[in-house]
Amino acid sequence: MIRERFLPLVVSLVLLLGIWEAAVWYFDVQVFVLPSPLAIAGGVVDEWVVLQKAVLATLNEALTGFALGIAIGLVLAMILVLVPPLETALMPMLVAINCVPVVAYTPLALIWLGIGPASKIAMVVIAVSFVILLNALQGLKRPEDAAINLLRSFGASPLRIMWTLRLPSAMPSLVNGMRVGIVRAMIIAIVSEMLGAYRGIGWIIFQATQQVNFLQVWAAIAVSSAASMVLYLILVWIDRKVVWWK
Amino acid sequence: MKSAAASLWRAIALPLGTIVAMGLLWEAVARGAEISPHIFPPLSAVAVEAWRVGPFLARSVLRTFIETGLGFVSGAAFGILCGVAFALVRPLERALFPIFVVSQTIPVVAFGALVIIWFGNTILSKVVIAFYLTFFPVTVNTHSGMLSVDPQKIQLLRAFGASAVQIFWKLRFPAALPTVAVALRLGISLSLIGAIVGEWFGDTVGLGVMLIQAMYSESVPRLWALIITCGLLGASLYAVVAVIERRVVWWRTDA
Repeated sequence: MIRERFLPLVVSLVLLLGIWEAAVWYFDVQVFVLPSPLAIAGGVVDEWVVLQKAVLATLNEALTGFALGIAIGLVLAMILVLVPPLETALMPMLVAINCVPVVAYTPLALIWLGIGPASKIAMVVIAVSFVILLNALQGLKRPEDAAINLLRSFGASPLRIMWTLRLPSAMPSLVNGMRVGIVRAMIIAIVSEMLGAYRGIGWIIFQATQQVNFLQVWAAIAVSSAASMVLYLILVWIDRKVVWWK
Repeated sequence: MKSAAASLWRAIALPLGTIVAMGLLWEAVARGAEISPHIFPPLSAVAVEAWRVGPFLARSVLRTFIETGLGFVSGAAFGILCGVAFALVRPLERALFPIFVVSQTIPVVAFGALVIIWFGNTILSKVVIAFYLTFFPVTVNTHSGMLSVDPQKIQLLRAFGASAVQIFWKLRFPAALPTVAVALRLGISLSLIGAIVGEWFGDTVGLGVMLIQAMYSESVPRLWALIITCGLLGASLYAVVAVIERRVVWWRTDA
């Protein structure tokens, strides 16, 4: 099972990196245009101390925002399902907020909350909570009316129905939203750091670009990609474990 | 007829009412709570600022719109092609699909500076970023939509002597369209994000450029004007895609 899934990934990655390495070497491509994979790996090793600190700072922002975003999105979805009139009243506002490309809020977040971690966490919360809200709403509404009426006829309160029926059936779409959200959380944290920060991967990339140190840009990209890939795989694994009945 | 009018009323008046109420609430809170206008300006101040920078704002909207549109159309076309290829040629799927997935965990925007070096500080570099963000969801959904076709239907067509090409155009492609449409709606939003972020790395006109300039001059009213403009542009683009979708995929509206 695992071998079947990961073997193609490993083979194609190795092939891709091999072609990349050979092409850079054969065509004598300059480092500022495209460094070779080995050169990037060397860059990662050389600057590991700096990169490690930066990626931990970014992970900290992304994961804090991710957790808060899940909590806010899920609770909001539950409230909207429990109190339907609220949904009719609030949805247009939420949709209006979501129409704005999330990156457009970044300058405002930086002015309001400063260039520390708070502004990045706030941005991640905005980006994640809406994905979670939409997915959770869809999932919470999935149980059929017949099942809900059955529980109600046995005297179950709306809260009880939420806990025993709606939440479990929302799990698949919730985990799906989390899978989309985790990659988004990392990207938004990095984007926000690029506009203003004093630590983190985005800040390293910004600094390195200013100093025309493109090997460092690539090293930072490699480290952050590895980090978000690990997070993504963890969520795929949770998906398998938690939502085994899918 | 009456119920149709009533549902139209619900669909238009209610959101509109909420938005107007939001605007009034905003104005009242900003004026009443005596918050510094540098932090939370009243909506009227935002409107005045938007009017002041009007011509530049209009040119920026047009520029960002063109970048988004080009990136979206090319990304959608490439994504559909890849999705179809992956669904029809299994070895290709096994070899390349994992790389596609990995490529999406890479923070694209980090490449912004590199893309500018590769493609020059032109409109092309923003289009490339928008393209990169669009093609992936379209590829994934085209792929899964193509595979979701009921194999019995394929066998039925084949039993009646349909060629592979006929099966593709008559059955598999139409069956995939509703799933593709979902990805297109996501793609247009991502495309706009790509265009805005791409402009951060250097240009003279565009909504992303204006956002950066407003941030450095700490002009919160202009930031709000830009946020609202970005939202209106995003909503209009989304609406266009949704309308086209309803025309093309008229047989299914629940997707």
